[in-house]
Amino acid sequence: MTQRPLELILARNLMSALSTPAFLVDEGGVLVFYNEAAGALLGKRFEELGTVGAEEWGSMFGPFDKDGEPIPYDELPLVVAVRNGRPAHADFEISSADGARHQVEVSAFPILTAHGSQGAIAVFWPAGSSNGAGNR
Amino acid sequence: MKVKLWGTRGSIPSPGPETIRYGGNTSCVGVTLADGSMLALDAGTGIRSLGLALAAEPARLHILLTHLHLDHIQGLVFFAPAFQAQTEIVIWGPASPEASLRDRIARYISAPLSPVEVRELPCDVSFRHCPQTEWEIGSARISAASVAHRGPTLGYRIDDGDSSLAYIPDHEPALGADIDALEEDWISGLGLARNASLLIHDGQYADAEYPDHIGWGHSSLSHSISFARRANAARTVLFHHDPMHSDEQLDQLGAEARQRWLALGGAEGGIELAIERNEYELPARAASPASAS
Repeated sequence: MTQRPLELILARNLMSALSTPAFLVDEGGVLVFYNEAAGALLGKRFEELGTVGAEEWGSMFGPFDKDGEPIPYDELPLVVAVRNGRPAHADFEISSADGARHQVEVSAFPILTAHGSQGAIAVFWPAGSSNGAGNR
Repeated sequence: MKVKLWGTRGSIPSPGPETIRYGGNTSCVGVTLADGSMLALDAGTGIRSLGLALAAEPARLHILLTHLHLDHIQGLVFFAPAFQAQTEIVIWGPASPEASLRDRIARYISAPLSPVEVRELPCDVSFRHCPQTEWEIGSARISAASVAHRGPTLGYRIDDGDSSLAYIPDHEPALGADIDALEEDWISGLGLARNASLLIHDGQYADAEYPDHIGWGHSSLSHSISFARRANAARTVLFHHDPMHSDEQLDQLGAEARQRWLALGGAEGGIELAIERNEYELPARAASPASAS
């Protein structure tokens, strides 16, 4: 009788209605959902990708620091939020499926409940992109 | 397992000639387990009648609260066993970061809302937050899980032998979601209801009423039917009737529910509206359930 924690279900429902790119991981760091806006940013819909294991998703679309170097998985805001139970924020660049680079600001926060952490949400704010597609 | 509906109404007691057939008491379901243990699911005004029926019954019983909205607890101070010193009552309910279950219930069972305080109840009463894992009461295994409603709210599943009861009286599983399109593990409450012998589920609104009540924590008829189909319950009882619905309106709603259920390939008798005082004896679940799919 497995069922996702209600907080994740409600988070997904909310994210589905947002035009802001948003990502959802469970308590184990598995990427369990991202919304249509995030799919547009990445160039790949969640339905095409499905869930992605912890550590795997971290390198799928970059991300890169201002020097173009890959950012370690452990330092990603979503990872910090789910592991440490605290909010995190960062600016970095991601690479979409078509190779375009997008500069984004990322804010992540943990989903804390009476039963502890159930996961984390990250919201991406596109700040610009190499082909201009990320501007909103 | 035997189940009796003592209160089927939602939100506020609605007595009167226009609600006499489906009943006006708020949520309460009595459950008698195979070993004779007694449970009450919620403590709306229906629990008053349950208490009277239990006058000479066991000295220990469990009350499982889904949440603490008034229509689910307002019968507590009129529950006769609570005023019998020889009775032991264990009240289970959802945890909250704000206060303990006891303290939250005491807001109602205290002045000026109540003539008695919790500490004055003659019975031996204790309060327990429902665990995240299954636990046992008598011959049954109990599961509780948070479900989509306003505030901390649980649904319950009771497995007793081969029969199972799922009780999710206040539930809006389609809030911001399409139940028919979602994967099963992303549907609120479905893990509790899956393949249940009997599912008692929120059926508060007609489809035309739901748009004015989005986010209020309840289901439309379409949502209830979709949820029941996805759950593959052998029998579904739509519960928590809107206080504005008369018997005649509920007759129409019930007829529509049956018609749509059959049109979707559901079994005859697979869905019905809750009627106060109706009783169900749950058989062991057949290996190949007859239900909509």
